[in-house]
Amino acid sequence: MPSKTLFIVLSSGEHEKLQIAAMTASVAAVSDRPVQVFVSMNAVLAFEKGKSAAERYQGGEISKIFKEKNVPDALGLFGQGKALGDLKMWACSMILDLKEWTVDNLVDGLFDGPLGLTKFLADAEDGELIAI
Amino acid sequence: MSERQIIDARGAFCPGPLMELIAALKLSAVGEEVEVLSSDKGSVTDIPEWVKKVGHTLVTTTEKEGYWSVVVRKAK
Repeated sequence: MPSKTLFIVLSSGEHEKLQIAAMTASVAAVSDRPVQVFVSMNAVLAFEKGKSAAERYQGGEISKIFKEKNVPDALGLFGQGKALGDLKMWACSMILDLKEWTVDNLVDGLFDGPLGLTKFLADAEDGELIAI
Repeated sequence: MSERQIIDARGAFCPGPLMELIAALKLSAVGEEVEVLSSDKGSVTDIPEWVKKVGHTLVTTTEKEGYWSVVVRKAK
């Protein structure tokens, strides 16, 4: 029986939360489970094109340890999930409108497009949804 | 039979070793084996779990000095 699609609402831009979202999404996707990620609120800012790792990844104590050790890069993990599994990522259209951005303002190769919350929730009705 | 591919993922943390294994398996032919060297203890249990979930074959898991060797055969 095929696995239920995992829907993730990622709203925090905190490094530790980006990391667990990226780990969950990528590992599920490479384990034959379709995944869809809806990136909203401050999380959108972490995907802004042109930021350095220091600007992109800001967090607490565990974030500092991530930076000291050889922990996989969060955005890199999302990319691996897309390359090796069925992972789709959507940028919240409301936040893009508020920032006067398009998906072109976000890092290349990760986003499948802008999406509204209503459509994402409708798609998620038959799957499992977690919010981070 | 082709030579076994070895992925040295020592020093990488979860899920790095698993991702490196999957990328290598994707490029392998059915029946070929990939050996992952990992110092990440979590990956030593996670990799066999992933292998079981997606239907490949776990050949061996061996503890070495300060790291583990996990050998996986591509089954599909």
